[in-house]
Amino acid sequence: MRIAYVLNEAFNNIRRNGLVVLGAVLAVFVSLFLTFGTLIFGEIARVNTERWQEDVRVIGFLRVDYREVDELRNEIEGWDEVERVIYYTPAEALEEARLLFADDPRQLQIIEDDPSIIPASLRVRPVDLNDYDTIKQRLTNSPGVSEVISADEAVQQIAAIRDGLRVFFWVLASALGVAAIALIANTIHMAIYARREELEIMHLVGASNWFVRTPFLIEGVVEGVFGSALAVATGVFLYNLARNRLADLPEFINLTIDSSFLVQWGLLLVGFGAIVGIVGSGISLAVHKYVRT
Amino acid sequence: MIRLHNVSKVYDNSVVALREVGLEVAKGEFVFLVGPSGSGKSTLLRLMMREERPDTGEVWVAGKHASALPSWKVPHLRRSIGTVFQDFKLLPNKTVYENVSFALEVTGRSRHVVRNQVPQVLKLVGLSNKADRQPRQLSGGEQQRVSIARAFANRPLILLADEPTGNLDPATSVGIMRILDRINRTGTTVVMATHDHAIVDAMRRRVVQLEGGRVIRDQRSGAYEIRVQSNVATEPPDEDSVAPTPDAVVPVEEDVVLAESESTATAGTDPAPEASLEDSTEAAEAADEVVDEAKITESDA
Repeated sequence: MRIAYVLNEAFNNIRRNGLVVLGAVLAVFVSLFLTFGTLIFGEIARVNTERWQEDVRVIGFLRVDYREVDELRNEIEGWDEVERVIYYTPAEALEEARLLFADDPRQLQIIEDDPSIIPASLRVRPVDLNDYDTIKQRLTNSPGVSEVISADEAVQQIAAIRDGLRVFFWVLASALGVAAIALIANTIHMAIYARREELEIMHLVGASNWFVRTPFLIEGVVEGVFGSALAVATGVFLYNLARNRLADLPEFINLTIDSSFLVQWGLLLVGFGAIVGIVGSGISLAVHKYVRT
Repeated sequence: MIRLHNVSKVYDNSVVALREVGLEVAKGEFVFLVGPSGSGKSTLLRLMMREERPDTGEVWVAGKHASALPSWKVPHLRRSIGTVFQDFKLLPNKTVYENVSFALEVTGRSRHVVRNQVPQVLKLVGLSNKADRQPRQLSGGEQQRVSIARAFANRPLILLADEPTGNLDPATSVGIMRILDRINRTGTTVVMATHDHAIVDAMRRRVVQLEGGRVIRDQRSGAYEIRVQSNVATEPPDEDSVAPTPDAVVPVEEDVVLAESESTATAGTDPAPEASLEDSTEAAEAADEVVDEAKITESDA
């Protein structure tokens, strides 16, 4: 009876204040949609620039039968324009290849049939990011190196855009997150004010504090969860739409990300929406005299 | 049941509401708080319901140290106190029944208890036949009876009433007093602040008079004002000693002396008590008939 009553009160509040509630839900939605979008975009960028992480700019693939890896590595590390050399073992290389060709079953099959075709590699981080031409040249002439590739313009641009957008989106998402909390607080504030007579009587007859406050907390959580669930659903929908429409992108861009990534972050964001709701209504309950004894 | 010890209260704007008030109310007593506006009557009631805390002194209510009670325990204290106000404080968009059941629901009573209690208290206040009305469809007196029903629904030990007849005409007021009297007879302690001379004079209950935040009179079966010598003939001076309530706290004579020195009462401004008493009795009977009618219609149904 008590729980039913509290829930009933919460949903009555939501119904009575339709437009204001909609505003709060939309604020949560926009803020968390941007956050989710940033996460998805970041993940796509990460997958596509995986091997260029940590400022690696040049990769030298080693011949499968080459054995003097340590000597070669020490030699390259001695070059003036090289800051660091990272050795990728055949096992690590295979792991990376599986990720890279995740959306290409045919390629994947070839790899799985004969993993030895995936070569080990030495990945070189230049002292100056523009030095990679020199390094590329010297690597090509080194013994044991079968092929040299370097991060081209496109990859470098993706990385740059990714870093810039990431900052921009996070700033925007936090600002909107604060706005969402404020809007939820305002919604709860209005709900409290609309019910001030009832609340006064509840206090007079001795309704316990949780009985008075819980409906407002639930209202905040419902708004937060609803807004965030909407954001996640929209995010997943648009991502799938984009992946299908942009199927004929140049091959080096891979739009596939792990579906467990979407599920995990989706759930996290819904949880975060609930927290936004609790904080918003908590702020309102803390400042409002009608809900205090 | 209620004990105030050396209680003082000064508001933020340095208005002194109460000065060193001591008061004891036994279980089952009926006490009128009288005195001019601003004499501290409402503050006293607010301290008893722990709406406020005193600056100094102690307030004990229903066995609890109200003035030291942490705020999360206040709801529990309030369940043993019923409150009635001059402005009724009814919820306009709820029916009579819902206004009363609200008080039970929000204190977590089961549906079964609510279904049992609400008709009972509505019957007590004679509104069984108006359970489905909304407050605006009721007269002032009826609205006040709803608010009394709500206050009594939780079967409180104490009923605090702040000028419950302040907005009502004399005849209606008598009906309200009959109900409060009936509630008192069930063993509920009643403390009522009032300006209503006729009621206080007719009921002959304990009267505590406040002025400037002090108790200047505490009389066992008193009138609203102390009569000067010429009126004493009509009011036997030894009445107090035969009064039924055994536990008046302050010696009566002392208080009368105190009151006479400060009271503004004169024989000339005193409304004829006998006349008003008679009026009241008539009206009271009328009110009783209403209650009886309600009973009949209910037993029919």
